[in-house]
Amino acid sequence: MTSKFQKEIQLLLDNEVINQDTVKRIETFYASKNEEKPNRLFTIFGVIGAALVGLGIILILAHNWDDFSRLMKTILAFAPLLIGQFFVGYSLFKVKGKSWVEASGTFLFFAVGSSIGLVSQIYNIPGDLSSYLLTWTLLCIPLVYILKSNTLVFLCLVFATYYGCNYGYGYFSSSHTPWWYLLMVIALIPQYFKLIKSKKDFNFASICNWLFPLSLVTVLGAFTETHSGFGFLMYVLLFGVFYNIGKLKLFYNQKLRRNGYLIIGSLGTVITLLITSFKWIWNDIFRSEFVFSPQEAAIAVLLFVSAGLLVYRTTQKEKNNDFSLFQIVFFVFVLLFSVAQTDEVIPLVLINVLLLVLGVNAIKIGADRFHFGVLNYGLLIITSLIVCRFFDTDMSFVLRGLLFVGVGGGFFATNYIMLQKQKKTTKSISK
Amino acid sequence: MKKIYILIAFCVLALIQIFIPAQMVLSQETVLEKGKPYKFITRPIDPNDPFRGKYITLRYEISSFKTLDTTWQRGDDVYVYIKDSLGFAKLDTISKQKIVRDTDYVIGKAKWLNRKNNWNKNPTRLNFNLPFNRFYMNENKAKPAEDAVRFRRNDSTIKSVYGLVHIKDGTSVLKDVIINSISIKDYVEQNKP
Repeated sequence: MTSKFQKEIQLLLDNEVINQDTVKRIETFYASKNEEKPNRLFTIFGVIGAALVGLGIILILAHNWDDFSRLMKTILAFAPLLIGQFFVGYSLFKVKGKSWVEASGTFLFFAVGSSIGLVSQIYNIPGDLSSYLLTWTLLCIPLVYILKSNTLVFLCLVFATYYGCNYGYGYFSSSHTPWWYLLMVIALIPQYFKLIKSKKDFNFASICNWLFPLSLVTVLGAFTETHSGFGFLMYVLLFGVFYNIGKLKLFYNQKLRRNGYLIIGSLGTVITLLITSFKWIWNDIFRSEFVFSPQEAAIAVLLFVSAGLLVYRTTQKEKNNDFSLFQIVFFVFVLLFSVAQTDEVIPLVLINVLLLVLGVNAIKIGADRFHFGVLNYGLLIITSLIVCRFFDTDMSFVLRGLLFVGVGGGFFATNYIMLQKQKKTTKSISK
Repeated sequence: MKKIYILIAFCVLALIQIFIPAQMVLSQETVLEKGKPYKFITRPIDPNDPFRGKYITLRYEISSFKTLDTTWQRGDDVYVYIKDSLGFAKLDTISKQKIVRDTDYVIGKAKWLNRKNNWNKNPTRLNFNLPFNRFYMNENKAKPAEDAVRFRRNDSTIKSVYGLVHIKDGTSVLKDVIINSISIKDYVEQNKP
């Protein structure tokens, strides 16, 4: 318990709001809650230490000690691997605590990388960075399940993403799709799911709630084959999937900052819509260079079906009454995208209208829930829309100026009204 | 899961983790021992790998081939057939797949196709990378090694620079890079500024 909290309890006790019995119960509750804290801290430091030592070994070996013989260098390549395996085996056999398992697993992860790296170095084995990262990560993914380690989920996901980017966006990879990346992410999902089911309040669970969607957003571009506007559609669909995952009870009932899916889904949708609200995008990319790719179409269909099923689950099965327009933006965008093949004016106008409606919708959600963050997010969407139109329409300066003054006034007015409303509610509760 | 199953699974994984690098070592050692050595004339340049350290990239004289096939795509596998000419490697032919020929081959990667057209009167040529274009070096020697060759390119003191490559059944191991008959590592040591 923090000293500030202890002071508050003392204050409540002095003013006879709570009695001595309640104080005792509160203290016992927090004492039991804090029992595992030192252990958790030890785990974090253990993992950081193991990661630093592992990375240090990789760097020391990367120096390339050319005074050593080939045999000596080969022995050195296997030494960290065997040491790492020994410690992992020891923590498994002797049933050591979580700290041991996580730290030794982290060390072994880097030892595997250093071992393959040094062998490649000794024999000048051809092969680019992506094939090296792939072998490394694949050799470590089973460890996630053997050790039930959350740190390894994190490491494997980061390295899988690194592989996906290196393989999918590299110079030689215009025709390469990082399917292995997808397989690796799928392989990590059961452990991640177990984590958010059993320990959803852990900080590590919320880190993963951000990391998984961020990783997929980063690598999705590598799954596009053409330079047509289909990529925009795929991204809007992916953000639709994320937003609807964020609306699932499992995530929605948590604090907003822990719900990376909802925030990334919402922000991503708005940013993609803002980009596609420019006329030149529809003129240049969507109409003139459209090339059909079966791979892109298959991924888009998969994302569309997933997003649709998630909407069904949140609205019908889980009966989430907070339905938001953001949940079905992907569907509207698919319709606009099909229309764009014949006419680019209608989708352009409708996207601007859609953004405006989304902004108003966010303001309404913020006002209903007394959430200043969401309210201002809605205002920000409208402002961004106006700023974008500032550049590509022939509106008169006076009209543009009036629009800005209007939105600025709107910021003040809505925040002021909400503050007043909140004060009123607090008063009525205290009465 | 019962503890015994977890332990068995870990032991299997540990063996796989050892087997992969060990198998890499074994196959490379076999090529070094039994493969035929060739000298590939080359020029080094110096890049960096975040995990495996500094290396010099080698640009070989054998890097393109005249072809009539215009279906080559960037990143395609190129079967490069090599013949021996007084110890030095000479390009025999290239192919999209393995062909019956009594010369050694390595598998390179297609870079780009230089097509014959209105502006380019030369015949169509395929440019490719050979698979042994990385030579890992001590971090203090990679840059001087590149400079040694770059600054003295027109210098008569440098007579020949070549990669010594062992080839067996399509697998190749770059054993060393030689400048004026000595290893590039020793050459850098001897020619310190």
